Amino acid sequence: MSDDQREKFGLTVTGLHAAYDRLAVLHGLDFHVMPGEILALVGANGAGKTSVLRSVSGLLRPTQGTVKLGDRDVTAFGAERIASIGLAHVPENRLVFPTLSVEDNLVLGGYVRRKDDGYARRREEALALFPRLADRINLAAGALSGGEQQMLAMARALMSEPSVIILDEPSLGLAPKVVGEIMSALGILRDTKGLAVLLVEQNVRAAFKVADRVMVMDRGKVVAEGTPADLASDERVRAAYLGGSSTSSSGIAGPKAQAAH
Amino acid sequence: MTDLLQLVFAGLAQGAVYGLVALGFVAIFAVREIVNLVQGEYAALAGLAAISAVGAGLPLLVAIIVVVPLVVGVAVLIERITIAPIKKMTPLTSIILTLGVSTAVKALMLLIWGPEAKGLPNFPGSDIVLGGVSIRSQELWVLGIAAIVGYAVIWFYEHTVRGKSLRACAEQPIAARLVGISPRTATVVAFAIAGFVGAVAGVVGSPIYLSSWTSGLTMGLKGFVAATLGGLTSLRVAMLGGLALGILENLVAGYLSSGYRDAVAFVVLVLVLLFKPHGLAGKSSGVRV
Repeated sequence: MSDDQREKFGLTVTGLHAAYDRLAVLHGLDFHVMPGEILALVGANGAGKTSVLRSVSGLLRPTQGTVKLGDRDVTAFGAERIASIGLAHVPENRLVFPTLSVEDNLVLGGYVRRKDDGYARRREEALALFPRLADRINLAAGALSGGEQQMLAMARALMSEPSVIILDEPSLGLAPKVVGEIMSALGILRDTKGLAVLLVEQNVRAAFKVADRVMVMDRGKVVAEGTPADLASDERVRAAYLGGSSTSSSGIAGPKAQAAH
Repeated sequence: MTDLLQLVFAGLAQGAVYGLVALGFVAIFAVREIVNLVQGEYAALAGLAAISAVGAGLPLLVAIIVVVPLVVGVAVLIERITIAPIKKMTPLTSIILTLGVSTAVKALMLLIWGPEAKGLPNFPGSDIVLGGVSIRSQELWVLGIAAIVGYAVIWFYEHTVRGKSLRACAEQPIAARLVGISPRTATVVAFAIAGFVGAVAGVVGSPIYLSSWTSGLTMGLKGFVAATLGGLTSLRVAMLGGLALGILENLVAGYLSSGYRDAVAFVVLVLVLLFKPHGLAGKSSGVRV
């Protein structure tokens, strides 16, 4: 597929600038996430990762640049409208609806769809991905563990059957085993549903394992981009942005890769 | 004993009206953390407008069917004009803002309907005496209608997707937007519900408790007190609180002096704010657990 064709699908961001009041936080980002691809966005605290997600999902109106879902320009749309045309944002800290049951959280996840529009099937697919939620279906979401709340936040996002899903630190505060479950769920979504996935992660090791491509951000700009293997072997990137050797044990950064680079 | 029952029953009916008004406060506060002091005016407005409609020759039922949706429209219109444009709404801003609006609405009602209190004609039916307690048919109407409307509102919030979406807005406004719930629509729906319960309270209560340009003030105050019993976030407690307040008022008026009637609500309010500022259920910061 040529670049022109590719950009008719997935998520395309061009020249993205954003600001909180007058404080500029993003300084011109360009990237594209294809269907069936996981793009991980990593970088230090305050690099602007969350702002990228907020700009993409319409919570933050970009000051410049465009955001396209498929071939549709959604830059000027509000979050609730963007949610209804195929983008799901799993926010930082999960933000499940605490007094509502797991079931009701799922129902509201499909708020933009009509209930007769395959609700049972969508629900079944979401629960198949996270079987633990099925056992807790009538519990208040606030009573779930952190890991379960993260699963619920993702299941809720899937209820709208998005074509693009963006996630903000899904591994935050979770045990390694649960992080593994979450990340493998993302892999499944990419492979079976062909979702375009944009993943913001502090847990670089986990992100590198599942991602097809990685972008490293620093102070509102993309400073490095490539496959996980490329970046993990780049001493400069590792030292500056990936916390030294934290990625070396992920099995993608060996001496060979460095030599090849 | 008969006296006591008599007072309790009269209190129940009056409390049902307070309960409806209280539902209106909760319907809005639970969604947007806005304390809507216009709430009582919906009731006064509905009562006065229905009296005029009947005076103009409309049958009672038709007058009510016309007036209630009209007041719902007014409630939504006021929200669109005065609440919607405010970018950063806090509970305090909302109190100051809606106090101003309610004063303006009162002035308007005084201009249109004059200062005297009037009552709607009684709804059809005859009064009965049950075990020595005389029960006015209008009181039965009030209780029956309040029960139906109150139950319907609670059912809406707890069992319909639209109702749940309003609760979602209150609990996690950001996440609600991310699943496609518009806070704008949610606010409009909340104000429509508040207008509806206020208007119903106004028309069913008018034959007994009368309507005037100032009646919204007492109704609003008492509804507010009942609503604070549930921390302004529980519909059930608000409704029950209204009933309890009505009974308490009538007992105080009957056994002490009717002069103390309106003081009861204030005393309850002060006690709640002192000892249970988050409502009788005692959860901190309402729905935002």
